[in-house]
Amino acid sequence: MLRDARDYQILFLSLFLLLGLATRDWTLKPAAIGVAIATCLLTQFIFSIIDSRWGTAAPATADLKLPATVLSPARSLPVMPGLRAVASQPLNWRSPLISALGLSLLLRVDHLPTMALAAFVAIASKFICKVEGKHFFNPANLGIIAALTLTHDAWVSPGQWGEEVWYALIFIGAGGMVLKRVGRWDTTAAFLGSYALLEAGRNLYLGWTWDVWLHRLSSGSLLLFALFMVTDPRSIPNARPARLIWALSLAGLTFILRNYFYLSTAVFWALFLLSPLTILFDRLWQSERFNWKVFAPRKPIVS
Amino acid sequence: MKRLRPLATGLIVAIACLIFAPSAWAFCGFYVAQADTSLYNEASQVMIARNGDRTVLTMANDYQGEVQDFALVVPVPTVIQPEQVNVAESTIIDRLDAFSAPRLVEYFDEDPCYLPCAECIDADPSATIDRLTEESGGAFQSLAEALGITIEAAFSAGEYDILILSAEESNGLETWLRQNNYQIPTGASEVLGAYIRQDMKFFVAKVNLDEFDQSGYQRLRPLQIAYESPRFMLPIRLGMTNAQGPQDLVVYLLTSQGQVEVTNYRTVEVPSNADIPLFIQDEFGPFYSELFQRSYEQRGRNIAFLEYAWDLRGCDPCAADPPSLDEMRQAGIFWLEDDMEPWEFNVFITRLHVRYTRDKFPEDLTFQETNNRRLFQGRYVMHHAFADANEQACLAKKTEYRGYALSDREIEYLRQSHQNYIAHEVPERFEREAKNLARLTGRDLSTIRRRISAEVPQPQPSVWQLRYPPQLP
Repeated sequence: MLRDARDYQILFLSLFLLLGLATRDWTLKPAAIGVAIATCLLTQFIFSIIDSRWGTAAPATADLKLPATVLSPARSLPVMPGLRAVASQPLNWRSPLISALGLSLLLRVDHLPTMALAAFVAIASKFICKVEGKHFFNPANLGIIAALTLTHDAWVSPGQWGEEVWYALIFIGAGGMVLKRVGRWDTTAAFLGSYALLEAGRNLYLGWTWDVWLHRLSSGSLLLFALFMVTDPRSIPNARPARLIWALSLAGLTFILRNYFYLSTAVFWALFLLSPLTILFDRLWQSERFNWKVFAPRKPIVS
Repeated sequence: MKRLRPLATGLIVAIACLIFAPSAWAFCGFYVAQADTSLYNEASQVMIARNGDRTVLTMANDYQGEVQDFALVVPVPTVIQPEQVNVAESTIIDRLDAFSAPRLVEYFDEDPCYLPCAECIDADPSATIDRLTEESGGAFQSLAEALGITIEAAFSAGEYDILILSAEESNGLETWLRQNNYQIPTGASEVLGAYIRQDMKFFVAKVNLDEFDQSGYQRLRPLQIAYESPRFMLPIRLGMTNAQGPQDLVVYLLTSQGQVEVTNYRTVEVPSNADIPLFIQDEFGPFYSELFQRSYEQRGRNIAFLEYAWDLRGCDPCAADPPSLDEMRQAGIFWLEDDMEPWEFNVFITRLHVRYTRDKFPEDLTFQETNNRRLFQGRYVMHHAFADANEQACLAKKTEYRGYALSDREIEYLRQSHQNYIAHEVPERFEREAKNLARLTGRDLSTIRRRISAEVPQPQPSVWQLRYPPQLP
């Protein structure tokens, strides 16, 4: 049970969504969540088929595929007749579902087509915006940016999570579990740590009391972003030093956008602007690329 | 396209009607009372009209003391020049207040003495068709320099003398303000410092007594400032330094796209669209205060309440007429053109009510305009029961009208609809109303039930009065 680390992410994102729906009186519509999930899965499915048939899936990227894809018999056959290709195409449903849940948590829309657009852009970017088989935009983040810039009825509500400590604890606890499974906790730590330091510096300079600092940091949206979006192992640099520098620049840019350009959606813009840098970082620091692991069932240890 | 707009507006109103109607058959109701801001002590009212980076900020003046003691210090993001300051008429804020205040609406029950066509009885014997009945609804330069203060501008506007100051450090500013007889609360220096380092300027106003006497106004008029800045915020920290307990702030935000929400605190809709007992019509003000206080406590005292969010082209029900183009201009809405027809006005009003204290609101309020065009209003519904419902009188009336005897089936139908109305519909609604009132305000449920027996006209014999005698036994 829950052998894929992404199952934890799905579980916890759904839990937050339910919590939000039940207690945070959001302007969140269940229909929008449905549209996000359906569009993400459908887009993933269609692009997977296109990908496998018209072969951007060169051998160099074969190891990028999820274990299920690798194990699929479809891989071994060079050409597949249309229908059989569709039928045998294993659907990678976890990643698009995570993107859909992320979108539902963070993006607010007035009309459902806007959510569909965001979901489509999110998943399509994984197949289109990629260099050497690795996508460099965080799908949900790109979906949010697309909806904010291309339409007139999408917005992000950074204040709606409130700042209750209880929520922060759940976020941190659950995120920690996911991160431990995935092994990219360093990015969150570096991002949150450096952002907190920058805000602390500003707070000292302005002479505000520390409750102002705490209030600025204990925003539910910021934690949600730090734990579930910035850590997506597939769209951040592979090597640890690169990841740390990347997280620091992300914190710096977020700080500047929030405090000097007064952008309430600063984190999302910062991630969007810095995402292409992962290509550069990956060139500078060569490292193993991340693959989602399926944990093998435990075996008794023989001593 | 232009032709379609009124239609679209009509549609919006119709949809709103469906959303806010307590049940499918109801009409949106008539407006009878409102809980306006005069209910609150220490309530400040601010109006912000914003489009792009341009902002017009209007501060209502509810100052109660001696006019010569009045002084106002507001941090502003940019230097303000004389042409950016205006003294508005007090009426405009009252107008917007009246327009957007939480409202009480009423419905009248139809006489259950209603006989549908003979076939209709068989078609739907339990149908009670309700319809609405008729409606009843000067500065010292040298000292300033020594203290590190620059007077960026000094001018008068209406009855006010205005200074725009920038300062290098907070102690100097505090000293200067005190020496010039501005009543600055102790401990303000720390907060002033934070604004100085954010490169904010200070808008300082005092009353020019000669001008005030000549103007003949009874009270101080609102000050209006226009500026251009990406910062969409309202400084509340300065006002907290000398506050005793919670302060109320009502902000009217006028934008072109849609609802405004607070970005660093939660924005929550005030409980709305509840059926409440009829006796509330005489005490709607206190009722809303209790409701607000209870919600405020229950939600952790650290949120902003949305009281109203509507397209300014219409309202339903209208607590007051929508403002005219002239009034919108007075409110600071600068993006409307002269040749626009009323249905082309793109103005969305958001009324936020914040009750703040230092411990729960450490940061100034920052806002963002969203594309959310959902309509919302604080609306409370009363129903007048049809107190004269009488089975025998109804049978007699129908027979007389008909000129010959009613059939057994028709008599049975009338009996049943009376019985249903008196024994079920009315008491069940009373129960729902009583529970709503108890839940919303925290009042004692049994007292509410007795008050319904004593004060609400109801058809006789009343099941409710038997169950809950007006006086304690």
